[in-house]
Amino acid sequence: MVIYMPGETKPKRFIYPTRGVCPPEIHFNVNNGRLEEIRFVGGGCPGNAQLVARLLDGKPVAEALECLVGIDCRNGTSCPDQLAAAVTAAQNGRLTPAESFRVQADVSDRCRIGLVSEIAGNPAVLEKLIKHMQDSGMEACYCLGNLTGDSAQNKDLIQTIRKHKILAIQGANDWRYAQGQEKMSLPPLEQKERDWLLRLPQVLSFQIRRKKGMVFYGDYIQGLPDYSDFEPFALEMNMVCGLTSFMQDETVLPALEAMIPQFHVDIIIFGQQNTWGHWHIAGKDFISLGPARDTNGLSWGRLEVADEKIRFKIMRAE
Amino acid sequence: MAESVKVLPQDIQEIIEVHEWDMRTREGVQRFRELKAKSLPSVALDGDLVYESLIPMQEELIAEIHRRYKEKNQNE
Repeated sequence: MVIYMPGETKPKRFIYPTRGVCPPEIHFNVNNGRLEEIRFVGGGCPGNAQLVARLLDGKPVAEALECLVGIDCRNGTSCPDQLAAAVTAAQNGRLTPAESFRVQADVSDRCRIGLVSEIAGNPAVLEKLIKHMQDSGMEACYCLGNLTGDSAQNKDLIQTIRKHKILAIQGANDWRYAQGQEKMSLPPLEQKERDWLLRLPQVLSFQIRRKKGMVFYGDYIQGLPDYSDFEPFALEMNMVCGLTSFMQDETVLPALEAMIPQFHVDIIIFGQQNTWGHWHIAGKDFISLGPARDTNGLSWGRLEVADEKIRFKIMRAE
Repeated sequence: MAESVKVLPQDIQEIIEVHEWDMRTREGVQRFRELKAKSLPSVALDGDLVYESLIPMQEELIAEIHRRYKEKNQNE
Protein backbone atom coordinates (compact mmCIF):
# COMPACT_ATOMS: atom_id res chain seq x y z
CA MET A 1 0.00 0.00 0.00
CA VAL A 2 1.30 3.46 -0.87
CA ILE A 3 0.45 6.29 1.48
CA TYR A 4 0.29 9.66 -0.21
CA MET A 5 0.91 12.90 1.63
CA PRO A 6 -2.16 15.13 1.78
CA GLY A 7 -2.44 16.97 -1.52
CA GLU A 8 0.87 15.68 -2.76
CA THR A 9 1.50 16.00 -6.49
CA LYS A 10 5.26 16.36 -6.85
CA PRO A 11 8.40 15.50 -4.88
CA LYS A 12 8.84 17.46 -1.69
CA ARG A 13 12.11 18.00 0.08
CA PHE A 14 12.26 18.00 3.87
CA ILE A 15 14.92 18.88 6.43
CA TYR A 16 14.28 17.48 9.88
CA PRO A 17 16.17 18.80 12.95
CA THR A 18 16.89 15.68 14.98
CA ARG A 19 16.85 15.15 18.76
CA GLY A 20 19.15 12.90 20.78
CA VAL A 21 21.24 11.51 17.92
CA CYS A 22 24.60 12.42 16.35
CA PRO A 23 23.52 13.93 13.00
CA PRO A 24 21.76 17.25 13.63
CA GLU A 25 19.68 17.01 10.45
CA ILE A 26 18.03 14.43 8.24
CA HIS A 27 17.30 15.42 4.64
CA PHE A 28 14.86 13.43 2.55
CA ASN A 29 12.38 13.68 -0.31
CA VAL A 30 8.89 12.27 -0.51
CA ASN A 31 7.90 11.52 -4.08
CA ASN A 32 4.42 10.10 -4.64
CA GLY A 33 4.41 8.51 -1.22
CA ARG A 34 7.92 7.07 -1.54
CA LEU A 35 11.08 8.02 0.30
CA GLU A 36 14.02 9.27 -1.74
CA GLU A 37 17.41 10.91 -1.29
CA ILE A 38 17.68 10.27 2.43
CA ARG A 39 20.77 11.80 4.00
CA PHE A 40 21.82 11.96 7.64
CA VAL A 41 23.78 15.20 7.79
CA GLY A 42 26.48 16.48 10.09
CA GLY A 43 27.51 13.47 12.18
CA GLY A 44 26.88 9.85 13.12
CA CYS A 45 28.13 6.69 11.43
CA PRO A 46 28.40 7.63 7.74
CA GLY A 47 28.63 4.06 6.51
CA ASN A 48 25.56 2.83 8.35
CA ALA A 49 23.66 5.99 7.49
CA GLN A 50 24.39 5.52 3.79
CA LEU A 51 23.27 1.90 4.02
CA VAL A 52 19.96 2.91 5.63
CA ALA A 53 19.49 5.55 2.93
CA ARG A 54 20.18 3.05 0.13
CA LEU A 55 17.92 0.36 1.57
CA LEU A 56 15.01 2.75 1.98
CA ASP A 57 15.43 4.65 -1.29
CA GLY A 58 12.21 4.34 -3.28
CA LYS A 59 10.34 2.48 -0.54
CA PRO A 60 6.73 3.45 0.19
CA VAL A 61 6.54 5.56 3.35
CA ALA A 62 4.39 3.02 5.25
CA GLU A 63 6.78 0.18 4.45
CA ALA A 64 9.79 2.27 5.50
CA LEU A 65 8.11 3.25 8.78
CA GLU A 66 7.67 -0.41 9.70
CA CYS A 67 11.46 -0.86 9.52
CA LEU A 68 12.34 2.39 11.28
CA VAL A 69 10.20 2.89 14.38
CA GLY A 70 11.30 1.94 17.86
CA ILE A 71 15.02 1.30 17.24
CA ASP A 72 17.07 2.46 20.22
CA CYS A 73 20.70 3.56 20.01
CA ARG A 74 21.09 6.34 22.58
CA ASN A 75 18.85 8.71 24.53
CA GLY A 76 15.92 6.42 23.85
CA THR A 77 16.12 7.02 20.12
CA SER A 78 18.32 6.37 17.08
CA CYS A 79 18.93 7.64 13.57
CA PRO A 80 16.27 5.30 12.10
CA ASP A 81 13.86 6.26 14.89
CA GLN A 82 14.46 9.95 14.16
CA LEU A 83 13.88 9.31 10.46
CA ALA A 84 10.59 7.67 11.42
CA ALA A 85 9.69 10.75 13.47
CA ALA A 86 10.66 12.97 10.53
CA VAL A 87 8.58 11.06 7.99
CA THR A 88 5.61 10.94 10.36
CA ALA A 89 5.90 14.69 10.93
CA ALA A 90 6.00 15.26 7.17
CA GLN A 91 2.96 13.01 6.73
CA ASN A 92 0.81 14.81 9.25
CA GLY A 93 1.93 18.29 8.20
CA ARG A 94 3.96 19.17 11.31
CA LEU A 95 7.10 19.28 9.18
CA THR A 96 6.76 21.62 6.23
CA PRO A 97 8.81 21.23 3.04
CA ALA A 98 12.23 22.87 3.12
CA GLU A 99 12.86 26.25 1.57
CA SER A 100 14.49 25.93 -1.84
CA PHE A 101 17.65 27.56 -0.54
CA ARG A 102 19.11 27.91 2.93
CA VAL A 103 18.98 31.36 4.51
CA GLN A 104 20.77 32.32 7.70
CA ALA A 105 20.50 35.63 9.50
CA ASP A 106 23.38 37.35 11.25
CA VAL A 107 21.31 38.65 14.13
CA SER A 108 23.85 41.19 15.40
CA ASP A 109 23.47 44.78 14.26
CA ARG A 110 26.87 45.44 12.70
CA CYS A 111 28.90 48.59 12.17
CA ARG A 112 31.89 47.33 10.22
CA ILE A 113 32.03 44.08 8.27
CA GLY A 114 34.98 42.47 6.51
CA LEU A 115 34.14 40.57 3.33
CA VAL A 116 36.23 37.91 1.71
CA SER A 117 35.51 35.67 -1.25
CA GLU A 118 37.01 32.83 -3.29
CA ILE A 119 39.44 31.52 -0.68
CA ALA A 120 39.59 28.31 -2.75
CA GLY A 121 41.02 26.03 -0.08
CA ASN A 122 43.84 28.24 1.15
CA PRO A 123 43.82 28.48 4.98
CA ALA A 124 47.04 30.53 5.11
CA VAL A 125 45.45 33.27 2.99
CA LEU A 126 42.38 33.26 5.21
CA GLU A 127 44.48 33.50 8.38
CA LYS A 128 46.32 36.55 6.98
CA LEU A 129 43.11 38.22 5.92
CA ILE A 130 41.43 37.60 9.27
CA LYS A 131 44.41 39.14 11.06
CA HIS A 132 44.29 42.17 8.76
CA MET A 133 40.55 42.55 9.27
CA GLN A 134 40.89 42.33 13.04
CA ASP A 135 43.71 44.89 13.01
CA SER A 136 41.45 47.14 10.93
CA GLY A 137 38.68 47.01 13.53
CA MET A 138 36.23 44.75 11.72
CA GLU A 139 33.69 43.25 14.09
CA ALA A 140 32.65 40.43 11.78
CA CYS A 141 34.01 38.55 8.81
CA TYR A 142 31.76 37.08 6.16
CA CYS A 143 33.53 34.49 4.06
CA LEU A 144 31.77 33.94 0.76
CA GLY A 145 32.41 30.86 -1.40
CA ASN A 146 34.08 29.31 -3.08
CA LEU A 147 35.59 28.17 0.18
CA THR A 148 36.94 25.00 -1.40
CA GLY A 149 39.06 24.71 -4.50
CA ASP A 150 41.71 22.74 -6.28
CA SER A 151 43.69 22.42 -3.09
CA ALA A 152 44.86 19.65 -0.80
CA GLN A 153 44.02 21.95 2.12
CA ASN A 154 40.24 22.15 1.85
CA LYS A 155 39.87 20.30 5.16
CA ASP A 156 42.31 22.70 6.89
CA LEU A 157 40.43 25.63 5.42
CA ILE A 158 37.18 24.36 6.92
CA GLN A 159 38.88 23.95 10.29
CA THR A 160 40.21 27.52 10.08
CA ILE A 161 36.73 28.87 9.37
CA ARG A 162 35.30 26.90 12.31
CA LYS A 163 38.13 27.93 14.65
CA HIS A 164 37.56 31.63 14.00
CA LYS A 165 33.75 31.23 14.03
CA ILE A 166 33.52 33.03 10.71
CA LEU A 167 30.17 33.29 8.99
CA ALA A 168 30.65 31.34 5.78
CA ILE A 169 28.38 31.34 2.76
CA GLN A 170 28.30 28.42 0.34
CA GLY A 171 29.67 28.82 -3.19
CA ALA A 172 28.95 26.75 -6.31
CA ASN A 173 32.06 24.64 -5.81
CA ASP A 174 31.17 24.02 -2.18
CA TRP A 175 27.69 22.92 -3.23
CA ARG A 176 29.12 20.42 -5.69
CA TYR A 177 31.42 19.06 -2.99
CA ALA A 178 28.45 18.78 -0.62
CA GLN A 179 26.63 16.71 -3.24
CA GLY A 180 29.65 14.54 -4.04
CA GLN A 181 29.63 16.03 -7.54
CA GLU A 182 32.91 17.93 -7.55
CA LYS A 183 35.09 17.89 -10.64
CA MET A 184 37.17 14.74 -10.95
CA SER A 185 40.36 16.77 -10.75
CA LEU A 186 39.55 18.05 -7.26
CA PRO A 187 40.84 16.21 -4.18
CA PRO A 188 38.24 14.19 -2.27
CA LEU A 189 36.73 15.28 1.05
CA GLU A 190 35.48 13.18 3.94
CA GLN A 191 31.75 12.89 4.52
CA LYS A 192 31.77 15.15 7.59
CA GLU A 193 33.38 17.97 5.59
CA ARG A 194 30.86 17.49 2.81
CA ASP A 195 28.07 17.61 5.39
CA TRP A 196 29.51 20.81 6.85
CA LEU A 197 29.51 22.39 3.39
CA LEU A 198 25.94 21.18 2.80
CA ARG A 199 24.68 22.90 5.94
CA LEU A 200 26.18 26.28 5.06
CA PRO A 201 23.76 29.08 4.28
CA GLN A 202 23.32 29.89 0.63
CA VAL A 203 22.09 33.35 1.55
CA LEU A 204 23.25 35.30 4.59
CA SER A 205 21.08 38.21 5.66
CA PHE A 206 22.52 40.90 7.87
CA GLN A 207 21.95 44.35 9.24
CA ILE A 208 24.52 47.13 9.31
CA ARG A 209 23.23 50.12 11.24
CA ARG A 210 19.74 50.50 9.83
CA LYS A 211 20.54 49.04 6.43
CA LYS A 212 19.53 45.50 5.58
CA GLY A 213 21.74 43.36 3.41
CA MET A 214 22.19 39.94 1.85
CA VAL A 215 25.19 37.96 0.68
CA PHE A 216 25.03 35.14 -1.86
CA TYR A 217 27.52 33.53 -4.22
CA GLY A 218 25.87 33.32 -7.60
CA ASP A 219 23.48 31.74 -10.04
CA TYR A 220 23.92 28.09 -9.00
CA ILE A 221 21.24 28.83 -6.39
CA GLN A 222 18.71 29.45 -9.15
CA GLY A 223 19.32 25.92 -10.38
CA LEU A 224 18.68 24.25 -7.03
CA PRO A 225 15.79 21.76 -6.95
CA ASP A 226 12.47 23.49 -6.26
CA TYR A 227 14.04 26.97 -6.43
CA SER A 228 11.15 29.39 -6.09
CA ASP A 229 11.15 32.86 -7.61
CA PHE A 230 8.93 34.02 -4.79
CA GLU A 231 10.93 33.11 -1.71
CA PRO A 232 12.51 35.97 0.22
CA PHE A 233 15.71 37.21 -1.51
CA ALA A 234 14.90 35.39 -4.78
CA LEU A 235 13.91 38.66 -6.47
CA GLU A 236 17.26 40.26 -5.68
CA MET A 237 19.10 37.18 -6.96
CA ASN A 238 17.02 37.00 -10.14
CA MET A 239 17.74 40.64 -10.87
CA VAL A 240 21.48 40.42 -10.21
CA CYS A 241 22.12 37.06 -11.90
CA GLY A 242 19.53 36.95 -14.66
CA LEU A 243 18.66 40.52 -15.54
CA THR A 244 21.96 42.35 -15.19
CA SER A 245 24.44 39.46 -15.60
CA PHE A 246 26.03 40.40 -12.29
CA MET A 247 25.80 44.12 -13.06
CA GLN A 248 27.81 43.71 -16.26
CA ASP A 249 24.95 44.73 -18.58
CA GLU A 250 24.35 48.41 -18.01
CA THR A 251 21.68 48.64 -20.72
CA VAL A 252 19.12 46.97 -18.44
CA LEU A 253 19.71 49.21 -15.44
CA PRO A 254 16.47 51.16 -16.13
CA ALA A 255 14.57 47.87 -15.71
CA LEU A 256 16.52 47.09 -12.56
CA GLU A 257 15.60 50.50 -11.22
CA ALA A 258 11.94 49.75 -11.89
CA MET A 259 12.15 46.51 -9.90
CA ILE A 260 14.14 47.88 -6.96
CA PRO A 261 11.12 49.16 -4.98
CA GLN A 262 10.15 45.49 -4.46
CA PHE A 263 13.53 44.59 -2.92
CA HIS A 264 13.67 43.42 0.70
CA VAL A 265 17.23 44.63 1.30
CA ASP A 266 19.40 47.70 0.73
CA ILE A 267 22.75 45.98 0.11
CA ILE A 268 23.25 43.01 -2.23
CA ILE A 269 26.65 41.32 -2.15
CA PHE A 270 27.68 38.56 -4.55
CA GLY A 271 30.83 36.77 -5.63
CA GLN A 272 30.55 34.74 -8.81
CA GLN A 273 32.13 37.30 -11.11
CA ASN A 274 35.42 37.26 -9.23
CA THR A 275 35.90 40.96 -9.86
CA TRP A 276 35.57 43.86 -7.46
CA GLY A 277 32.74 46.28 -8.10
CA HIS A 278 30.35 48.65 -6.34
CA TRP A 279 27.21 50.16 -7.87
CA HIS A 280 24.75 52.50 -6.21
CA ILE A 281 21.39 52.39 -7.98
CA ALA A 282 18.08 53.83 -6.82
CA GLY A 283 19.15 53.83 -3.18
CA LYS A 284 20.50 50.27 -3.20
CA ASP A 285 24.12 49.15 -3.12
CA PHE A 286 25.33 46.24 -5.24
CA ILE A 287 28.76 44.87 -4.39
CA SER A 288 30.75 42.29 -6.33
CA LEU A 289 33.55 40.64 -4.37
CA GLY A 290 36.83 39.85 -6.06
CA PRO A 291 39.05 36.91 -5.16
CA ALA A 292 40.94 36.80 -1.86
CA ARG A 293 44.18 36.43 -3.77
CA ASP A 294 45.12 37.70 -7.22
CA THR A 295 48.10 39.29 -8.93
CA ASN A 296 47.73 42.37 -6.71
CA GLY A 297 48.16 40.25 -3.57
CA LEU A 298 45.61 39.57 -0.86
CA SER A 299 42.37 41.55 -0.79
CA TRP A 300 39.19 41.89 1.23
CA GLY A 301 36.27 44.28 1.28
CA ARG A 302 35.48 46.72 4.08
CA LEU A 303 31.80 47.53 4.49
CA GLU A 304 30.52 50.20 6.84
CA VAL A 305 27.83 52.82 7.12
CA ALA A 306 28.73 56.46 7.64
CA ASP A 307 26.26 59.35 7.49
CA GLU A 308 23.53 56.89 6.49
CA LYS A 309 25.57 55.96 3.42
CA ILE A 310 27.21 52.67 2.57
CA ARG A 311 30.97 52.87 2.34
CA PHE A 312 32.78 50.06 0.60
CA LYS A 313 36.51 49.88 0.18
CA ILE A 314 38.84 47.24 -1.23
CA MET A 315 41.60 46.58 1.30
CA ARG A 316 45.01 45.14 0.44
CA ALA A 317 46.52 42.88 3.06
CA GLU A 318 50.01 42.71 1.56
CA MET B 1 0.24 47.13 -18.75
CA ALA B 2 -1.82 43.98 -19.09
CA GLU B 3 -4.84 45.95 -17.90
CA SER B 4 -4.64 48.26 -20.92
CA VAL B 5 -4.57 45.19 -23.17
CA LYS B 6 -7.48 43.53 -21.37
CA VAL B 7 -9.72 46.52 -22.05
CA LEU B 8 -9.11 46.47 -25.80
CA PRO B 9 -12.30 46.15 -27.86
CA GLN B 10 -13.69 42.71 -28.54
CA ASP B 11 -12.80 42.71 -32.26
CA ILE B 12 -9.17 43.29 -31.33
CA GLN B 13 -9.22 40.68 -28.56
CA GLU B 14 -10.36 38.14 -31.15
CA ILE B 15 -7.28 38.58 -33.32
CA ILE B 16 -4.62 38.65 -30.62
CA GLU B 17 -3.14 36.36 -28.02
CA VAL B 18 -1.78 38.05 -24.91
CA HIS B 19 1.12 36.74 -22.85
CA GLU B 20 2.20 38.53 -19.72
CA TRP B 21 5.60 37.84 -18.15
CA ASP B 22 6.31 38.51 -14.51
CA MET B 23 9.68 40.23 -14.21
CA ARG B 24 10.16 38.80 -10.73
CA THR B 25 10.60 35.36 -12.24
CA ARG B 26 13.48 33.76 -14.13
CA GLU B 27 11.13 33.07 -17.03
CA GLY B 28 10.11 36.73 -17.19
CA VAL B 29 13.70 37.90 -17.06
CA GLN B 30 14.66 35.45 -19.80
CA ARG B 31 11.88 36.70 -22.07
CA PHE B 32 12.85 40.30 -21.32
CA ARG B 33 16.41 39.56 -22.41
CA GLU B 34 15.32 37.65 -25.51
CA LEU B 35 13.38 40.71 -26.61
CA LYS B 36 16.45 42.86 -25.88
CA ALA B 37 14.30 45.12 -23.76
CA LYS B 38 15.89 47.63 -21.45
CA SER B 39 13.18 49.13 -19.34
CA LEU B 40 9.72 48.52 -17.94
CA PRO B 41 6.96 48.27 -18.89
CA SER B 42 7.74 46.80 -22.29
CA VAL B 43 5.30 45.64 -24.96
CA ALA B 44 6.21 43.34 -27.81
CA LEU B 45 4.00 42.58 -30.79
CA ASP B 46 4.73 39.44 -32.77
CA GLY B 47 8.05 39.17 -30.95
CA ASP B 48 9.13 42.72 -31.84
CA LEU B 49 9.75 45.12 -29.02
CA VAL B 50 7.45 48.03 -29.87
CA TYR B 51 6.89 50.04 -26.69
CA GLU B 52 9.34 50.58 -23.87
CA SER B 53 8.89 52.59 -20.69
CA LEU B 54 5.45 53.68 -21.73
CA ILE B 55 1.92 52.47 -21.95
CA PRO B 56 0.63 53.44 -25.40
CA MET B 57 -2.67 55.16 -25.88
CA GLN B 58 -5.35 52.65 -26.73
CA GLU B 59 -5.88 54.12 -30.20
CA GLU B 60 -2.20 53.89 -30.95
CA LEU B 61 -2.02 50.28 -29.79
CA ILE B 62 -5.12 49.32 -31.80
CA ALA B 63 -3.72 50.98 -34.91
CA GLU B 64 -0.42 49.11 -34.57
CA ILE B 65 -2.21 45.77 -34.03
CA HIS B 66 -4.41 46.42 -37.09
CA ARG B 67 -1.42 47.37 -39.19
CA ARG B 68 0.42 44.17 -38.28
CA TYR B 69 -2.69 42.05 -38.73
CA LYS B 70 -3.25 43.40 -42.24
CA GLU B 71 0.41 43.01 -43.13
CA LYS B 72 0.44 39.39 -42.02
CA ASN B 73 -2.76 38.53 -43.83
CA GLN B 74 -1.58 40.22 -47.03
CA ASN B 75 1.54 38.11 -46.95
CA GLU B 76 -0.40 34.90 -46.47
